[in-house]
Amino acid sequence: MKAKVIKLGWSVMYFVAGMLLLLGMWDMVSRITKGEIPSPLATWDTFKEVMKDPFQNEPDYKGIGIKLLSSLARVGIGFGLGSLVAIPLGFLLGSSRIMMNIINPIMQILRPVSPLAWFPLGLAIFQDSPKASIFMIFICSLWPTLINTSFGVSNIPQDHKNVGKAFGFSVWKYIIRIMLPYSLPHIFTGLRLSIGVAWMVIVAGEMLSGGIGLGYFVWEEGFNGGSVGKILVAILIIGAVGLLLDRLFTSLQKRFTYAV
Amino acid sequence: MRSSAITTTQNIADSILQPVLTPSTAIDIKNVTVSFKTAKGSYTAVKEISLSVQKGEIISLIGHSGCGKSTLMGTISGMVKPTAGDVTANGKPVMGPGPDRGIVFQNYSLLPWLTVYRNIYEAVDAALKDLSKGEKKELVERNLKSVHLWDHKDKLPGQLSGGMKQRVAIARAFAINPSILLLDEPFGALDALTKSNMHVELLKLWNLDNREKTIVMVTHDVEEAIFLSDRVVVMNNGPAATIKEIVSVPLDRPRNKRDIVHDPVYMNIHDKLLSLLIDKFSIDDIKD
Repeated sequence: MKAKVIKLGWSVMYFVAGMLLLLGMWDMVSRITKGEIPSPLATWDTFKEVMKDPFQNEPDYKGIGIKLLSSLARVGIGFGLGSLVAIPLGFLLGSSRIMMNIINPIMQILRPVSPLAWFPLGLAIFQDSPKASIFMIFICSLWPTLINTSFGVSNIPQDHKNVGKAFGFSVWKYIIRIMLPYSLPHIFTGLRLSIGVAWMVIVAGEMLSGGIGLGYFVWEEGFNGGSVGKILVAILIIGAVGLLLDRLFTSLQKRFTYAV
Repeated sequence: MRSSAITTTQNIADSILQPVLTPSTAIDIKNVTVSFKTAKGSYTAVKEISLSVQKGEIISLIGHSGCGKSTLMGTISGMVKPTAGDVTANGKPVMGPGPDRGIVFQNYSLLPWLTVYRNIYEAVDAALKDLSKGEKKELVERNLKSVHLWDHKDKLPGQLSGGMKQRVAIARAFAINPSILLLDEPFGALDALTKSNMHVELLKLWNLDNREKTIVMVTHDVEEAIFLSDRVVVMNNGPAATIKEIVSVPLDRPRNKRDIVHDPVYMNIHDKLLSLLIDKFSIDDIKD
């Protein structure tokens, strides 16, 4: 118990030290650029201003909370659809060497394509820019989940397979009682990587698509003579939300990892 | 002309009567060879083995590691397909695993994400599809109680000791009520004391079932083989392993673990099995 408290104390100290280092460097950059990049303190004022009424929802002005939720919704839909395709497809590839050999080259060609390259294609297909950015998220969040799921499934120990074989499990029972539970930790690793990619990509997507969202907010402030302070605030919010999403999936992963 | 007609009739009659006349044969292995393809070419694990096991008989396959005893048993369970020869179980050719043959695996093979109860329930549910839900639950409960694990039914396998895991695996195999029970080095990972208890528990389950279940066990433990079996099948070292000798164990049942070791019959069999399996008995036997 005491050791735990001490350990926690140290990790808080390290965190504070890291933050102080970041603030120090930031402040230095701010001084060198003679305030072109606002200091942490000035940014704090901007932050308070931005956060004043986060859910203000006027036709000509949307609060930062509305923008955040709209970005999250797009990520959620694209990521959700991607996972719905990636997990079953991962099951198929993981359990069939032939399917893996057929699909793998396609995967190797498509995976390294920059997310932004999918945007115009999505635009051509859907004729709608918000849908195009969802399409982009969808494609990008496919790969990590697909690769990790199929890796998990292809590594099911012979012992577990034997149980299914010896007691005559149906295909469905095999999938939900052996394949899914065994590969769940791998699936969550994939989902965690995917949500990270999706969150990274949404900012770029919204810069292209416009509309309401954190990405467009950064773009707008950057180009229409807006404030660098607001850009910094947006960057910090994007980073914090990304961290939270990652933590969420890490805890889900822990929750579904069984003791052997 | 006439005599050939008689022969044909005789053959047909034989083929019909054979299973009826010898209903006591539970497992019939005929000229079974198993070869595997490996990176270095074909590897023959067992070669032209024939063995017949009576209904209600307990036999042990014993031999050194890698002598193909597990492979031979795999051909009975249907997990291994023979390259040549036939295996018949309960009068039917073995085409794959089936609910008439229960398997207890070497390393328990419990699903770590399912509770003790679910591990057995899922097996019963898959193997005995025609039973109602209530009947399945009843079976699980009865079998878990018979291995004294009902109080642990909600635990995950990771929370159990080795002996408890093995009891779950045995309860799972018994729950589908197979007429043939196949045990692949079932007690190999247990300590001597737990192992000894498990032997008695296994025989108790077999007894409760009127000694009607046929049990085939793979082991490399001589004492275990004698205590449990009616016959001990000693195998040659692989590759291309064959049966070296079949040793009968004519000891009365129920056997008492403590008394049996002083029985001259036991001691004879023990010596015989040791000489068949071991060629070094003392440091004097090691030649420089």
